[in-house]
Amino acid sequence: MTYMAIPNIGNYTIALATAVESLGIKAWASTATTPEALKLGIEAAPESVCLPLKAHLGHFIEADKAGVEYAFMINSVGTCRLRYYRHMIDQILKDLGLKIKIFGLGFDGFKPPIVRHFNPGPITFIKPLFHSVLKIKVIDELEVAAWRTRPIEITPGETTRIMNKLLVELSESKTMAQTRSLRKKVAGSFADIPVDKEKQPLKVGLVGEISFLRDKCLNKNIEYILGSQGIELKNFFLLGEELENITRIIFLNQSRRKSLSRIADRYLQNSVGGHALDSVANSIHCADEGYDGMIHLCPSGCMPEVSVRPILKRVSKDMDIPILEMSYDEHTCAVGISTRLEAFADVLMERRKNGSVAFRREKARRG
Amino acid sequence: MGNPMKNSCYMGIDVGSISTNCVVITPEGGVLSEIYRRGDGHPIESVQKCLSQLTAQLSDEYCVKGVCTTGSGRVLAGAVVGTDVIKNEISAHARATIHLYPDVRTIFEIGGQDSKVTIVRDGVVVDFSMNLLCAAGTGSFLDSQARRLNITIEELSTRAMTSEDPTDIAGRCTVFAESDMIHKQQGGHEQKDIMMGLCHALVRNYLSNVCNGKEIKPPIVLQGGVSANKGICRAFKEALQCDIVVPPYNMVMGAYGAALIASKSGIEKTKYRGKEASTHIIITKGFECGDCPNCCEIIEVLDADEVIGRTGGRCGKWEGRTEPREALKGTGPIGTVFGTSAGGLTEYDTCRLLDNVPDLIQIGVSKKRRS
Repeated sequence: MTYMAIPNIGNYTIALATAVESLGIKAWASTATTPEALKLGIEAAPESVCLPLKAHLGHFIEADKAGVEYAFMINSVGTCRLRYYRHMIDQILKDLGLKIKIFGLGFDGFKPPIVRHFNPGPITFIKPLFHSVLKIKVIDELEVAAWRTRPIEITPGETTRIMNKLLVELSESKTMAQTRSLRKKVAGSFADIPVDKEKQPLKVGLVGEISFLRDKCLNKNIEYILGSQGIELKNFFLLGEELENITRIIFLNQSRRKSLSRIADRYLQNSVGGHALDSVANSIHCADEGYDGMIHLCPSGCMPEVSVRPILKRVSKDMDIPILEMSYDEHTCAVGISTRLEAFADVLMERRKNGSVAFRREKARRG
Repeated sequence: MGNPMKNSCYMGIDVGSISTNCVVITPEGGVLSEIYRRGDGHPIESVQKCLSQLTAQLSDEYCVKGVCTTGSGRVLAGAVVGTDVIKNEISAHARATIHLYPDVRTIFEIGGQDSKVTIVRDGVVVDFSMNLLCAAGTGSFLDSQARRLNITIEELSTRAMTSEDPTDIAGRCTVFAESDMIHKQQGGHEQKDIMMGLCHALVRNYLSNVCNGKEIKPPIVLQGGVSANKGICRAFKEALQCDIVVPPYNMVMGAYGAALIASKSGIEKTKYRGKEASTHIIITKGFECGDCPNCCEIIEVLDADEVIGRTGGRCGKWEGRTEPREALKGTGPIGTVFGTSAGGLTEYDTCRLLDNVPDLIQIGVSKKRRS
């Protein structure tokens, strides 16, 4: 059996693994970077590159050590350095003398090189692709349900347990029918978790670099920390939404980027690359929606996110919404992160007690 | 313990990077006793020595009704002492300052390894910031420089105050600051001018890094271990052109705030272990959880054979729990690993037992290699 290592994008890796089956091969992946892989990546990568690159590199080195022959790396076409990351990783792996071959997502002609190389039959190709889109949708639903339930659950850790259980089932689901029946189960499973309905959790939006938003090894499990402190989250990276956006671009020539840049127009007119525009637009959007605060995750040295930090400071001041800057790399210790998050939660709680603008707005909206 | 005839009091413990502080207050907020103790790399011993010193100072008519721990070692100290509340140090410091100075608008706190700024408006914390990736401009640097010049930190402070013409020192990075200082010293600059220049560099660095983009408005309160250094206070005054208030308990404000938090949290029955905490020999023992590929190192805090607390781990399964190890293993949000995989490179295992729910699902990864 041929194996292909795919990058970690959190729980969505499960869906990506299904997509890989469309090439008639098996995926080699994990839903979060393992500490071991991170160590390998840090050793091999230049010191100044951002943490997501080190994580991906480490993951591929680990894969190579396990005997995996192929790897797949996303390369965006934005202005972020991610554009060159496939080539960089490729070069570093070659310098290390590793055999693993990396594919990108580029098109040259009708078929991407990766499809041409494996040359799967049309039926083997199409079916897993649809299946993986379905899985992505299920994972989206799981994530959204978990953000809602976790802050108000009565037994700590119950939501995470249910969610992980469903994710395991999802990763084992082989057919579309199985996945569909699993999808029907999602709402019910989360509704069964005993919750404190009276509680009005703080609402916080999570914006920033996508690997940090998704990989719980890199962000030190920030979703769990925040949820267990009674904070309702919205993580602004949902792969389902992102896919929808891409489909719209292809078929309707409508990019979400346009509506985002309309929102962010007052602050940011140029393209910065990465998800910087999303960070700014979503922060403004959340302030209008009556969120209590925002958390901006930014790997140290990430060009797009670092460039919007001063803008976010301005947004925070103009729109009266606290924005916590979290910039970290592999040296950051977990205690420092939980200290900041706890203190931030305290600040938001105090603001709400004193009738902050956001809370009043939210209350008016709810009626 | 628990005698209703006794006066009640509350204890706050701040286990920071280089010092362990302890404050005992009355329910109204008056300080009964305060201890500042420079740690020597043994947080547990430091806490215990602090406690025994406290029990010696405190008269018998007081009984501890609540304990709150704070600082970077708050979880560990909490396990040793038996704490009721665990609070982050930013909130603890702010609580103490707002209690003493209700009209404060900016709090500077410079400790051993952390420097923070807290913005307060109308008695409410509205914003804060903490040094991110660099420890330049914190107490540890001043300490190491004093050690290099073979003077105590107090001497550094008094000498800096006598300077009239401070030398310009590059304060961007502590390593470069040190080489710049050596350069200036070889060039014949007076030591007191270099000391004061160092204070200026530290303040400049703090204002441009930590306070970047924050609205600094007086009244400003300066606290934390470094606030004892008069040279720093002077540098702040000169840089900001306004008065800097140094509170009476400047060195132990974190612990004072923690004690205030304990007194206000409505604790009915304290978990404080009393004398046991300071007299028993407490050891720690690490083991690898091994329930998932994260392989977290879990530290058990042991009093003889009894587990009084655990630290470490990312999933919250171990944190603060005292049940036997076997009862916790394989429970909680994380259980064993491995998702789908059928046949393959070496040996694969399929996760069928859904009660052992993994936090990290691996697809196609061999199990043999992991264990």
